[in-house]
Amino acid sequence: MVIHRSTRPRDPGRVGAVIDTDAPAPALEFHDLTQTFTRPRAETVHALRGIDLRIDPGEVVALLGPNGAGKTTALDIALGLTEPTGGRARAFGAVPRQAVADGRIAAVLQTGGLLSDLTVEETVRAIAALYRDPLSVGEVLDRAGIATIGRRKVSRCSGGEQQRLRFALALLPDPDLLILDEPTAAMDVGTRREFWSTMHAEATSGSTVLFATHHLEEAEAFADRIVLMARGRIVADGPVEAIRAMATGTRVTAVWTPGPGEPAPHDLPGVTAVERTPTRVILTSTDSDATAGALLRGTAARDLTISPRSLDDAFVALTAAPDTTAPDTTDPDTTDPDQEAAR
Amino acid sequence: MNATYWAIDLRRTLRDITNIFFIAGLPLIMYLVFGSAQSYRDEPVAHGNVGSVVMISMAVYGAVTATTSISGGAALERFQGWGRQLGLTPWSSTGFVITKSAVAMTVAAVPVLSVGLVGALTGAEATPLAWVLALAAAWIGSAVFAGYGLTAGMAFRSESALGVAGGSLVLFALAGNLFIPLSGTALELARFTPLYGINALARFPLTGGVVTESVTDPLWLPLLNVTAWALILGTTATVLVRRRRGRD
Repeated sequence: MVIHRSTRPRDPGRVGAVIDTDAPAPALEFHDLTQTFTRPRAETVHALRGIDLRIDPGEVVALLGPNGAGKTTALDIALGLTEPTGGRARAFGAVPRQAVADGRIAAVLQTGGLLSDLTVEETVRAIAALYRDPLSVGEVLDRAGIATIGRRKVSRCSGGEQQRLRFALALLPDPDLLILDEPTAAMDVGTRREFWSTMHAEATSGSTVLFATHHLEEAEAFADRIVLMARGRIVADGPVEAIRAMATGTRVTAVWTPGPGEPAPHDLPGVTAVERTPTRVILTSTDSDATAGALLRGTAARDLTISPRSLDDAFVALTAAPDTTAPDTTDPDTTDPDQEAAR
Repeated sequence: MNATYWAIDLRRTLRDITNIFFIAGLPLIMYLVFGSAQSYRDEPVAHGNVGSVVMISMAVYGAVTATTSISGGAALERFQGWGRQLGLTPWSSTGFVITKSAVAMTVAAVPVLSVGLVGALTGAEATPLAWVLALAAAWIGSAVFAGYGLTAGMAFRSESALGVAGGSLVLFALAGNLFIPLSGTALELARFTPLYGINALARFPLTGGVVTESVTDPLWLPLLNVTAWALILGTTATVLVRRRRGRD
């Protein structure tokens, strides 16, 4: 137990199925996870196409990807809310449902999940009553920063306040792994910043956090590690710096149509990727000086611009890469049964 | 059964003034208007007077309104994401069903007790045994309509559907001989409707089964009606819940 207010020792025997007694079990482990939704009169949706992931205690990991990448599906499996079609999911060595029942995993859900006619404090008390040994209602309200609005009806709370309430609920079991599914999706910029500063206080105290987001800057600012998902697969996984390095390089743009006797764009020094527009060539380069020099000296290229490639570019490049298998026709994140039912 | 959850959920339900008006207020007013204030109130029946018969029908109406709206609301809660929130706790869905049923039956007791109390103060008369048995039958019988509310909530998944389900109880009450004394063909048909059995069963301790001057129900008839509708509504609700679960 690493979260700062650890007043109760965590009994390691609580989770029955810990196999390896020497090394601590990973907080979360996916092995070749697949999830396929089959509906009558609808095309089969492959939400997950074989995910391998290991998250160790203490890591703060961002699950980054565009809508429909399979993030929510993966998190639902981690939380035991959905059974995968194939593969294996374990949390602290146990099946997710067990880890949730033991209070080792808790989550802040994307939307919904609250009763609008309860007060903030009643909501926390009702959920606290369902745990064997929860933290006190006052403590979680305080840590989530909503102690002053305990008597307010949920329906009168702003989106940010409701999200803090969900966060307070997630703190109740004093979890070892906190999962957040697009926690700031419904917030404006200011509220979003406030929410993350609260989360920062939690994370710097050493808990394991896994959060889904499609905001790159959130992943970059808050996570140690980014797992990039697209179309049901993990397309990149590494420390924030490593993901950024995949994106580094510079963009060298020029008005140029390679003529006879000129070098091919690919053969210019430093060039790793080439894109073309009708009049321009856009080169991604690891050495922009050399690339630009070669362009100016050896070709008819003109109107050169050199700009740093942003992490956004890397994100788009990595997640938009064409898929080798059949494309998804439906967006897995929006085929959530609850959302569909709510329509 | 989780006592804290029960208490919070109960308080939440009782705070909903609109709902409570239909559950407790309306039956009370209808009893006062159609029972207590009428000249036929003091006419005797087997173990009481007509006032007590009107009273018990209004208690039945209030109690089934309670079980219908609360079970239907429970189905909606599960859809609107609260089910996912509960799914993140150690609580089993059995625990939810039991606690929610306890809330529904507690709220169903409100119209039964309040109409019973006002009845006693305003001219409804019955022997003590008949009084207790009648109110108990109204209360317990109302549990059947939890299946009705669940079915409506599961099938239509909207607040307005629950409003329709609640409103339709007025029609079931009219068709089931609760509000206006039926006779002839209307009464024959009424015996097949879902509220007839609960109402006739609750009236039985007071009337001994007498429906009109010429018609008397044997005890098995309301019992059969209640059992049949409990099976029909219970099965429908179970099938819908299962189908829903299969989709998750």
